[in-house]
Amino acid sequence: MNRKRLEKVETFLFTMPAAILVSVMIYIPFVMSAVYSLTEWNGISKAVTFIGIENFKTIFLESKQFLNVLIFTGKYTALFMILSNVLALVLAVVLVKKIKTANILRGVFFVPYIMSMTIVGFIWKFIFSQGFARLFEISEWGLLNLSWLGNGDLAFYSVVFVGVWQQLGFYIVLYIAGLQAVPEDVLEAATVDGASKVKRFFRITLPLLGPSITICLFMSLTNGLKVFDIILALTKGGPGGATYSATLDIYREAFQYNNYGIGSAKALIFFVIILILTQLVLGFSRRNEVEL
Amino acid sequence: MKRYLSIFVVLVLLIGLGSSVLAEKATINMFISMPEYSDAIHELIDAYQEVKPDVTINYETTQNDYPTLLKVKLNSGDLPDIFASTSGKEIELYKEYSRDLSDQPLMETMLPAIKEAMTDANGDGMYGIAIKGNYFGLIYNKDLFEQADITKFPETISELEIAIEKLEAEGITPFSSGFGEWWVFKHVFQHFMAAATDDVPALIQKFEKGEAKIKDYPELYDNFFRFVDLVKEHGDAKPLESSLNTEISSFATGRAAMIIGQGPWVEDSIKEIDPGLKIGFAGYPVSEDPSQSQVITGADQAVRISKESDVLPEVLDFVNWWYTSDYGKAWFADVAGVVPPIAVDVESDYAIINQGSAAVEKKGSAPLGIIYSTDAFHSAFGETMQAYVGGAADKEATCTIIEKLWMEIDGEK
Repeated sequence: MNRKRLEKVETFLFTMPAAILVSVMIYIPFVMSAVYSLTEWNGISKAVTFIGIENFKTIFLESKQFLNVLIFTGKYTALFMILSNVLALVLAVVLVKKIKTANILRGVFFVPYIMSMTIVGFIWKFIFSQGFARLFEISEWGLLNLSWLGNGDLAFYSVVFVGVWQQLGFYIVLYIAGLQAVPEDVLEAATVDGASKVKRFFRITLPLLGPSITICLFMSLTNGLKVFDIILALTKGGPGGATYSATLDIYREAFQYNNYGIGSAKALIFFVIILILTQLVLGFSRRNEVEL
Repeated sequence: MKRYLSIFVVLVLLIGLGSSVLAEKATINMFISMPEYSDAIHELIDAYQEVKPDVTINYETTQNDYPTLLKVKLNSGDLPDIFASTSGKEIELYKEYSRDLSDQPLMETMLPAIKEAMTDANGDGMYGIAIKGNYFGLIYNKDLFEQADITKFPETISELEIAIEKLEAEGITPFSSGFGEWWVFKHVFQHFMAAATDDVPALIQKFEKGEAKIKDYPELYDNFFRFVDLVKEHGDAKPLESSLNTEISSFATGRAAMIIGQGPWVEDSIKEIDPGLKIGFAGYPVSEDPSQSQVITGADQAVRISKESDVLPEVLDFVNWWYTSDYGKAWFADVAGVVPPIAVDVESDYAIINQGSAAVEKKGSAPLGIIYSTDAFHSAFGETMQAYVGGAADKEATCTIIEKLWMEIDGEK
């Protein structure tokens, strides 16, 4: 009895520092921003006016702007999820083969991931403008002469491309780990049964990759929805506001337009959207996992 | 919540520092934008250290996102003793934290145009000082204009069109636009605002109340958009990717004859690439009236003193010394290399500043319109204009959006 109690006290004491830190960093600010979402405040003045749900009314009824950035974020996330998962899976399958340069290639694909998003953004901004211009002079490929960051539609693809390029290595590593865990004997048995390479991949390897796919889908979903720094560094939401993601729009509302209340309200709405989406995707991919 | 948190932080700091710092030096915390003057400000602080050895000045600056960082400091109860904002409209925004300086000795040396930019909406009080005056106008390459046989810099829009033709006949690209930067648009727009009205702040207030329409002002509706079109058609191949750096490099290497939306701050960078370049500086052609083609001068940044500072007397001594002592007065031109915001006679090494002051003497200065709107409005304005340049919106739609932005962002809430 006494020992049990001691254990309880220990558990409590050991988790306290972490719990306090997490609360101070995450939960308390979260609750505070929920409170601010019900107020009109410019982030500077000492007077904070309570206005109830007025901010939410403004967002839903008066302005289409938030809807537009949500649509943009949705499009970005969808394309980002598809591209990063498909490409990462293909590359992972190639990289677990016994090719000579496999280890070097793994490193090459992983390097962008350890670079800061902002730096990646600036590097690509340079490539898209000066780099492409010079390459066009040499090669005269019309594709290089397009205004990849200066045209609203193209800028969307540029942003997705750089986002995928930067994150790819991370998903490759997860998929490689999953592929290496696929038991050889099952694959051998399939070979003996006369299954072709393609059939083996789709009928055995892919289903057994279930846990990796779940994790990768989940991570790419949240990373896609949270996209911020890459856009800030590449286009700052431009040209003409064509590439504002939800997070960037919240930042702009709160810190540039000085509408801290509306910004908090948007953040809260976006939180609910992320919560629902992640639960849906997680539930869906969990249901489709198979176990040996 | 905010208060308790700040009390907590202060208590921790007091416990930590209390024992070591008792009745010691006064420390002034200075956190301002404009990192380009950090070397000069360090020199200023060193010089002040010799005058007042018992005052320490902690100087901090940032390249990016100054307003956000300032708000964070402010809300965590850590407002610097000296901070910065833009002048004009933003004076009001931080007014409840700022010390009114109108009773201070530095008022005697400050130029009237600067004072005006630092007063609040009612014209009362004086809530900041300027590190620099500034010039805004069109920068052009004198040699290229000579090569195209243009003897007089165009002062009207039709003269500008002729000049563009002559330049292109010589195979010279007339413009580099910088349209990728939102602030280029505000710098250009204010010249057309000045042509449209004699009372810029009043007109902006009308726009904010929704009582004015851009269409009623041909200088804005016709001339401004005409100018933007001209720059777009006769400028960079990819206008929306053109940034400040594009402008500087195109201009300095002779690939563009004119750059827009810039001022004295680009001269150093241009001279670094081509020290021999003959830089010309003039007002924009804004209408068919040559007298309206004026440069703009004034102060767009304000350095402000916290009302709640613990070391208020020391801070006031410092800024008064900055504006009234011999070293301080000479600092602006000699050390920082800026347009002095105070009344002194100086000869500048900068072509843009010299031609700017000559142009003001000859034709007068147009009012500094950008300070009467917030940067929040200006960045949205710039984005809207980018959409126009990119062809995503026509002139009609662009004007409607701008009118709406004025009401929503800067209007009474």
